[in-house]
Amino acid sequence: MRTRSAQLSVATVAFVLGLLVVAQLRAQAGAAGLQARSAQELTVLVANLTTRNEQLRREVASLEREVADLTAAAARGESSVDRLRTDLARIRTWAGLDPVVGPGVRVTVGGPLPGVAVEDLLNELRNAGAEALAVGGVRIVPGVVVAGPPGALSVLDTRLPDPFEIEAIGSPETLTGSLTRMGGIVAQLSARFPEATVTVTPVERLRLPATDRDLRPSHGTPTL
Amino acid sequence: MSGLVARLRRTPSWQITLGAALLALGFLVAAQLRSEGPRVRYTSQERAPLIETVLSLQRDQDALKARILELNEQIRALQRRGEGSAALVAELNRQIEAARIAAGLVAIEGPGLVLQLTDAAGPLPPGANPADALVHSDDIRTLVEELWLAGAEAIAVNGERVTVSTAILDIGGSVLVNSAYLTPPYQIAAIGPPGLYDRLSASAGFVDFVVNRADAFGLGLSFAEPERVVVPAYAGTVTLRYARPEPSPSPGGP
Repeated sequence: MRTRSAQLSVATVAFVLGLLVVAQLRAQAGAAGLQARSAQELTVLVANLTTRNEQLRREVASLEREVADLTAAAARGESSVDRLRTDLARIRTWAGLDPVVGPGVRVTVGGPLPGVAVEDLLNELRNAGAEALAVGGVRIVPGVVVAGPPGALSVLDTRLPDPFEIEAIGSPETLTGSLTRMGGIVAQLSARFPEATVTVTPVERLRLPATDRDLRPSHGTPTL
Repeated sequence: MSGLVARLRRTPSWQITLGAALLALGFLVAAQLRSEGPRVRYTSQERAPLIETVLSLQRDQDALKARILELNEQIRALQRRGEGSAALVAELNRQIEAARIAAGLVAIEGPGLVLQLTDAAGPLPPGANPADALVHSDDIRTLVEELWLAGAEAIAVNGERVTVSTAILDIGGSVLVNSAYLTPPYQIAAIGPPGLYDRLSASAGFVDFVVNRADAFGLGLSFAEPERVVVPAYAGTVTLRYARPEPSPSPGGP
């Protein structure tokens, strides 16, 4: 009986100690990636996370409104067909499954430039808030990549002419400003590829086609 | 309570001493670990509060993303219960579900490949920039592009789904995907057809990355082919402010 209670106390202390150590290690692991950052880098990170959390908060608010509307409509016994149609159109447009119209920019790219450089441009356009993209008239969706060495670029099975156009829907001012700012992607590309030309033109109305790619998973299974 | 006191009285004093000593040791170790970080690692006083702020923003973001997923689930459930012409509602729900899957708003699992990329651990080649020893966003973008070209159908980087709106950026010395900053190791999970690895490793772009980037600077690059790869759902904004669906030609209109 005595040995048993001694074992219990030791086991309890060891357990608590273990919890403390694990909690401490966890906390350190979370901060691990940040330890190497300078104060300036951390400030940039804070500013960025603040902006992005604000966007997520707006999304939460809009989804909460939708839940409230749907709940109220269900209580009144109203039809939700209009809501469903709107929701369907929103998701299909966002995903690239439907054609889309809106203001934006046209980026004309000429000269020898590798596919990864065009992908860098697309990445920057997404970062600047582009809501739909097309390259050479091909809608960009997950899985569609501009690839190839300079002078032999293609997207899906379409060979891109020289010059070719990138079309992006979004705020024309924001997209233009973000691409052409000092030290921005256009400046970087013209430094790395002096023979290439990249020009950005704001456009009032663009029309981008739907993707003709089948985005249904054929190897993975959606988990519901 | 009296039972506990009685038990304590019965307990030999060495056990109490040992227990107390171990407990004190536990607190000491914890306190030591806690103070070690700031003293050893922070070179300037202003960084500690900044790191705290980043961690707290990241916690906020995790909560917001969890809330978005939860609300999406609620909306799905409410829509399924919707009144109206039953057949039409069922058809619309089927289409919404299909669109959500295509958009990456639903988690998917299946066969595939996980690439892991880590910062260089060993010495750098002479003349190399110390920044070359770190994984940057363009390294991750290259691997994601190569995986798409090899036939992947769904990709996530450290659990962040790569969608139509996903940008992968260097922000403040960290890699940012969607709205999350990631810390190494970077794991790129891809679901795809059998032979995904073979096609990836046969690609000129991928071989160029391995030879001229990973091997040249000592970045760690490894592969795993687990039986099931899980690619989580996108938890972010699906809001359009400038893009509108193309107005469909109205029946009877011009």
